[in-house]
Amino acid sequence: MLEALKKLRRHLLTGVSYAIPFIACGGIMIAIAIAFVPIGPTGPDFSQAPRLKLLLDIGSTAFALMLPVLAGYISYSIAGKPGLVAGFIGGYLSGQVKAGFLGALLAGLLAGWIVSLLKKVPVSKYLKPIMPILVIPIVSSLFIGVIMLEVIGVPIAHLMSAASHLLQSMSTGNSVVLAMLLGAMIAFDMGGPINKTAFFFGAAMIGEGNLRIMGACAAAICTPPLGMGLATLLRKALWTEEEHEAGLAALAMGMIGITEGAIPFAASDPLRVIPCIVLGSMTASTIAMMAGVGDHAPHGGPIVLPAVEHRVAYVIAILVGTIVTAVAVNLVKALTRRAPATGEVQ
Amino acid sequence: MKVVAVTACTTGIAHTYMAAEQLEKTAQALGHEIKVETQGAMGIENELSDADIAAAQGVIFAADIEVERRERFDHVRVLEVPLQEAIKNPKGVFAKLGA
Repeated sequence: MLEALKKLRRHLLTGVSYAIPFIACGGIMIAIAIAFVPIGPTGPDFSQAPRLKLLLDIGSTAFALMLPVLAGYISYSIAGKPGLVAGFIGGYLSGQVKAGFLGALLAGLLAGWIVSLLKKVPVSKYLKPIMPILVIPIVSSLFIGVIMLEVIGVPIAHLMSAASHLLQSMSTGNSVVLAMLLGAMIAFDMGGPINKTAFFFGAAMIGEGNLRIMGACAAAICTPPLGMGLATLLRKALWTEEEHEAGLAALAMGMIGITEGAIPFAASDPLRVIPCIVLGSMTASTIAMMAGVGDHAPHGGPIVLPAVEHRVAYVIAILVGTIVTAVAVNLVKALTRRAPATGEVQ
Repeated sequence: MKVVAVTACTTGIAHTYMAAEQLEKTAQALGHEIKVETQGAMGIENELSDADIAAAQGVIFAADIEVERRERFDHVRVLEVPLQEAIKNPKGVFAKLGA
């Protein structure tokens, strides 16, 4: 069992190792683009800055490719070269059906699994040459495509509409409960369907004159990357040198309100990281909501400060949320630290 | 004895090369001949040829991720250790190899 989990982690890490340059490159380009344009009532306003818009588009492309690359190379790690096609398709479709990075992780694992099964199918030697270039890619892509579009995509679409109805019905009720829910949703999948549902709800409420929903979201959006970045600085010994570097990149992305900056941490260690960033974002959104923070721009993080009402409370909400995330994740990591693994001869 | 090794880490910019250096230093100190292939963010460097692998009496993988082009090692015994071990305790890695 432990052996199987170790293998699973290794496959996830292989996928992450190929996706990291895409996240870093896309994140930094998007961050620079957003940082230098004015924040208008509809978010960052690119109408006067064609060059920055170009930078944003290129960065967004790197971000969009991140999901296929992540899923593709998880599948590649499991099944080798024949696994790439189904993995890439699964990851791309995960973006299309808005299943986000958790969907891509799942797609990569499923694709690798189906391809390794297909590789074991006994075939006559006349069929053998076309197996890796024709039969396996087609069969595995059909399988993963149907799963992503028909099995994963449909419930996600229903879930998103159900969740936005739920949020709508709660918007007149207890605002603290609503804020906690929004914070948890924002952090849970870092840019995936649950995050987007909360974000679009907040953005839609701006149009109806309710700025506090977006205010709560905006504070929650940045604490996952900021918190993970701070965590690597607070207890250096708990993190590898590479994680320190990823932490600095996460801090930069957090400042600009890009929740995806926490993905490298969450993808390699989801069970310990996701609960901690959820806790931190809930803290930030709740403080922001209780203090009546309002946000005119459909974007989050310290970067939108000019568009925020009750700025001091907004900064406090972000700081407290960030610290809660960092302390929680370091505590969990320290308490569950595994004994140094020993090598085995295979 | 002749040893070949592959090192690979997740980000592929620091630890891959630190592990390679440790293994090389330790091999030299213990009087072994070693060639280390690194699989970092730049891809495969100092690639091990089939002849290198066939001539080796010991094969070490110090990797946190899947080793690329693994089929080259299908017919040899491989000692797999976590990357950290090659950095922190390279002597122990060689001891496990029986070297």
